[in-house]
Amino acid sequence: MSQTDDGTDVRLADGIDHQVAMVMDLNKCIGCQTCTIACKTNWTDGGGREYMYWNNVETKPGSGYPRDWEEMGGGWDEDGEERTPGELQDKEAYGRAWEFNHEQVMYEGSDEPLRPMEQPDWGPNFDEDEGAGEYPNSYYFYLPRICNHCTHPSCVEACPRSALYKREEDGIVLVDQDRCRGYRYCVEGCPYKKVYYNAMKKTSEKCIFCYPRIEGEGPEGEVLPPSCAEDCPPQLRLVGYLDDEEGPIHKLVNEHEVAVRLHPEYRTEPNVYYIPPFAPPQHSESGESIESERIPRNYLEELFGPDVHEALNTIERERAKVERGEESEVMELLTTTDTTDQYRLEVFD
Amino acid sequence: MERRPALLAALLAASLVVTTLAAPALVSARPAYEIPVADVDDGATLDTADGEEWTQAPSAGVPLSSSGAAVPGGDESTVDEVRVASARTDERLYLRVSWADPTRDTAAGDVRQFADAVAVQVPVNESARPPIAMGSTDNRVNVWYWNGLNVSQELLAGGPGTTTVLDDSDLESNATYRDGRWYVVLSRPLTDSSDDRTTFSTERDVDVAVAVWNGSSMERSGAKATSEWYYLALGPGPEGPPYETILWLVAGLGMVFTTLVTIEGIRRTRGE
Repeated sequence: MSQTDDGTDVRLADGIDHQVAMVMDLNKCIGCQTCTIACKTNWTDGGGREYMYWNNVETKPGSGYPRDWEEMGGGWDEDGEERTPGELQDKEAYGRAWEFNHEQVMYEGSDEPLRPMEQPDWGPNFDEDEGAGEYPNSYYFYLPRICNHCTHPSCVEACPRSALYKREEDGIVLVDQDRCRGYRYCVEGCPYKKVYYNAMKKTSEKCIFCYPRIEGEGPEGEVLPPSCAEDCPPQLRLVGYLDDEEGPIHKLVNEHEVAVRLHPEYRTEPNVYYIPPFAPPQHSESGESIESERIPRNYLEELFGPDVHEALNTIERERAKVERGEESEVMELLTTTDTTDQYRLEVFD
Repeated sequence: MERRPALLAALLAASLVVTTLAAPALVSARPAYEIPVADVDDGATLDTADGEEWTQAPSAGVPLSSSGAAVPGGDESTVDEVRVASARTDERLYLRVSWADPTRDTAAGDVRQFADAVAVQVPVNESARPPIAMGSTDNRVNVWYWNGLNVSQELLAGGPGTTTVLDDSDLESNATYRDGRWYVVLSRPLTDSSDDRTTFSTERDVDVAVAVWNGSSMERSGAKATSEWYYLALGPGPEGPPYETILWLVAGLGMVFTTLVTIEGIRRTRGE
């Protein structure tokens, strides 16, 4: 725990100098999966990783990826002391990597449309855009997910070999591939199901927060934000350090408290935060707007915990300020197009 | 008539000597916790579980129980006995471990799929007995491991969670699954120059323990069935602990005493 100048508490894991974090504004996500592909082509393109999406975007309400991951346990008990048992899901729950008829269509002159070779019955975001609710007030939104690089990671605790660890310099959670013996207790233990088993390598793998990019290991030696953030067309991700008092993460999470955690009840203390979705109001049968929120608050509370109410109320107030022509730091942070504001990664070098 | 008691006593004394020498061999084939090691000249057929030379190696039944390790399923193992046979040539030590397992698990291609496996551990320094759970930092164990993916590894461990693969191992394995039973042969040269591997002397017995994982029960890591410490009877003897001989001697003396008292009682009753 560290105390900032303005008195807000920033909880860092024991022995961690700083904590990288991300804020994702769900109001901007268009479900285009560009982040998914950016991550996939960078890190999980083959070699037993076909089914893996270290970054995925799922439709909520929906079953998610892997299917029904929220029902599979893991994480900590209410006191955050004891791990709760989790389940291993089979590969079908992730969805198989479909084979497409590229060869026939592209090279053999087939008139068939481009399609999977076999009839798929499940896959990542298979229930895309289905959502919930009745016409004309159906609702859904997209939820991009990566490893949360938790402050209190249950995957680290679950590994009997200490093959998972939290990096001292920035709190990134990594799997030591030399120590891992493929026991998969980490896969069971992560309640967000963001550790994956590579059956070809016989080891576990996970999101690495693109640490070579934020360390400036690229060809130009330039510090870059994670691929999922930089490649996002609507630029919904802000990246920086939780304990950087001048950074957007600290301001949105700790000062204004408009960015909330996904399933805080798992008690792993995720370091990926979300600006909750702020949907248009419901419509009457005749198509007029009525004073009723489209996305039920209780559903958002299920996802983001009770703090989501105050976060949404604050956002509403801040939006109203801007509408009246007043200044709002929250709205400026959330609408900036300046990448130096969006990504503050060299502050602790 | 006076010669009869003396004759009886002489006969009893003779039978006592015979019983003391022969009874241990008849009643108990070998001391508890011993795994006999057959001394084989050639060793050419010991590489496979069905090799003819294995008929010369008596096997020992070794009971297993859950390891109780602090991992999910650490107290829910499913295999409760292995049979272990051992043989050696002048160069190599062979162990054949067999156990009943109705499910043959030889893949780990799905997230929920685990392979059957077996491991034997011996102390790196065979003169001291390490803690049973993977040894300790100052008393390490050398582990021979095989699993259903046909992976065999020689490992070094100094406590739970410390297993480390030793490179350039001469460990060889061969496995057969027949009639609901695994038969796995693990072998390695007796001597090794590395400080991290056990060197087997034929001058002394060496402690050994066994672990088995049933893949279809999702057993892996500390979720396994383990034995207590047994020992490979590599040394020249003695045949068993000395107290066994002493016990037989005491029992024999008791028999002689009771018989003599009975004879004397009968004589007195008859008024002789």
